[in-house]
Amino acid sequence: MSEALPLKILVVDDTLTNIKQVQAVARSLGHEVVTAADGLEAVDRYRSAAPDLIIMDIMMPRMDGIEAARRIRSFASAKWVPIVFFSALDRMEDVLHGLESGGDDYLVKPASLPMLRAKISSYARLLHLQQQVLLSNEELSAWRAEVEEQNRLGEHVMRRLTDLAGLRDPTLKHFNLPADTFSGDLLCAARSPGGVLYVMLADASGHGLAAALTAMPLTQTFNSMTMKGFPIGSIAQEINRKLKSLLPPDRFVAVSLVAIDVRGQTVEGWNGGNPDVLFITAAGQVSRRWVSRHPPLGILPDAQFSAQTETFVLQEPGQLLLCSDGLIEAESPEEDRLGMDGVGEILSLAAPDLRMEALLKGMHAHVRGRRRHDDISCMLVEVPVERRREVRVADSAQQALSGPVSDWRMTISYGPQELRGTDVVPSLLGVLAHVQALKPHQGALFLILSELYNNALDHGLLGLDSATKAQAGGFELYLQQRGERLANLREGRVDLAFHVHEADGLGVLDMEVTDSGPGFDHRNLVFADADDEDGLRPHGRGIALVRSLCREVTYSGNGNEVRARFAV
Amino acid sequence: MMIKNELEGARATLSLQGRFDFHSHRDFRSAYEKMYENNAVRELEIDFKQVDYLDSSALGMLLLLKEKSESSGRNVTLSGLQGTVKQVLDIANFGKLFHIKG
Repeated sequence: MSEALPLKILVVDDTLTNIKQVQAVARSLGHEVVTAADGLEAVDRYRSAAPDLIIMDIMMPRMDGIEAARRIRSFASAKWVPIVFFSALDRMEDVLHGLESGGDDYLVKPASLPMLRAKISSYARLLHLQQQVLLSNEELSAWRAEVEEQNRLGEHVMRRLTDLAGLRDPTLKHFNLPADTFSGDLLCAARSPGGVLYVMLADASGHGLAAALTAMPLTQTFNSMTMKGFPIGSIAQEINRKLKSLLPPDRFVAVSLVAIDVRGQTVEGWNGGNPDVLFITAAGQVSRRWVSRHPPLGILPDAQFSAQTETFVLQEPGQLLLCSDGLIEAESPEEDRLGMDGVGEILSLAAPDLRMEALLKGMHAHVRGRRRHDDISCMLVEVPVERRREVRVADSAQQALSGPVSDWRMTISYGPQELRGTDVVPSLLGVLAHVQALKPHQGALFLILSELYNNALDHGLLGLDSATKAQAGGFELYLQQRGERLANLREGRVDLAFHVHEADGLGVLDMEVTDSGPGFDHRNLVFADADDEDGLRPHGRGIALVRSLCREVTYSGNGNEVRARFAV
Repeated sequence: MMIKNELEGARATLSLQGRFDFHSHRDFRSAYEKMYENNAVRELEIDFKQVDYLDSSALGMLLLLKEKSESSGRNVTLSGLQGTVKQVLDIANFGKLFHIKG
């Protein structure tokens, strides 16, 4: 039993001896007593002294106890103040009348001391309980207000994070249905400087603010690394590193990342913990899927992390579907899951441009109003096959600088270790971005540098043959060979030199890329390019692209030195 | 979720039964912590044969168990994986993080 608190008791009686009796009992129990001699005085004392309990006679001059009880009850109060009538009237009607007019209890005079003592103690316990309930109610509503405030913050942050310009890309459709007030699923899209579309679907464990907190480092890393042209494997690795250092061990984020390179006709995917990413042809066939090959992000230490992606060469146009597990686990009232097969079926039956709507409808038709357990998000990306050699350069609309350019030089040399462990082109681009004259040209420079550097590394140092890519399954073989040879590279270097200066009254950037490899017959390569007018073969288009962006491209040495001049 | 435990020398088994989700947090943790109070226990097997549902917070609890086990030099094995439970663990590639039996 809980210890009763001292009460303030209002004792009302017109006979002083009665007051004295009750007062003596109450004080012996440790309670404080205030007194009144009639009903009118009782009402005044109630208002001035705010008692916890009232023990009141009925028959009194000026105002009786019944009327006083009515008046006291008419004042609004959050606190319940029990009124115990203590009267010599002992007929059943009197008792009932007293209880009906606002009394909580009725005690007939004369009462024995033990009886009075027991009554007062029992009310003390009740009031103590009431006080505790009031306190917890107060705590509960304060807590609730705090949770609402946190939710509002989470929702705001999450809305900002998800309302990214990249998602307004015309090739994208998406939906995000939260289970809670807001979703722990996050969709992102952005284009690399080379115009490659990067998309990410992230599903943070848990919901609400916790999920939003987890998701915050994702968008920023995704956006800044995409803008700099880092490959998706490196983005996944960086996000993993960040989450691992920030999150407690039981929190993680399932992520699927895809890079759609329309110019290079490849789709590259990395999936850690999300349902299969699907490629669906116009005819509705799932022609390729990226199965989750990795644990979600935020679990593995960096040394155990695998940035291994899977690349697929586009043969025909289609659509790419990324979704969170909320979609495949969506349950019908019979507890059947929609499943990956169910998703595939809905998509295959719909016309390509209506697939997103069909998926949403099909999901609702499946769950038939059953409450969602989990967030459901989906992203559908159009993947065209471009037959023209259109160069999309993601440069800012910013005008080139007028006036003379100041001289700037940099030379840098990479050995096997750095070639293996660094994203060379994005890192170089990060440095070039600090040069005033080059700022407006990040997109073009990214494309040119990527081509020149990859040629030097792939063909010059690693001795890979572009023709491999043309065979069926050749691209995958090419990538596999590249990975193996790079891992085993013991010697060799790639040197790069940059020089911004004025030549013939024009601001230019001269780039020289030299590899220590045996070189190649560059005259042949140039011819091969001219032959590739259709632009359907993925290889060999690169140098043509560099030529179209630069004023001059020349090979020298054994073909292991290339020099390109770019107008700034 | 119901948890049954068995102990045989250095080897302990927790057999889970029912839904393994965020409501199971306290029960699951106290079950393995109790096992680990015994220093003789070096191997812990989590038997999923009778688990019919597993959510992402259950995956989080397994990760906590993994951390706790590694810090005290113990091995955790997951066994009896079937149906949707197996699917969820497969998609999360928990085979790369835990020993899986059967």
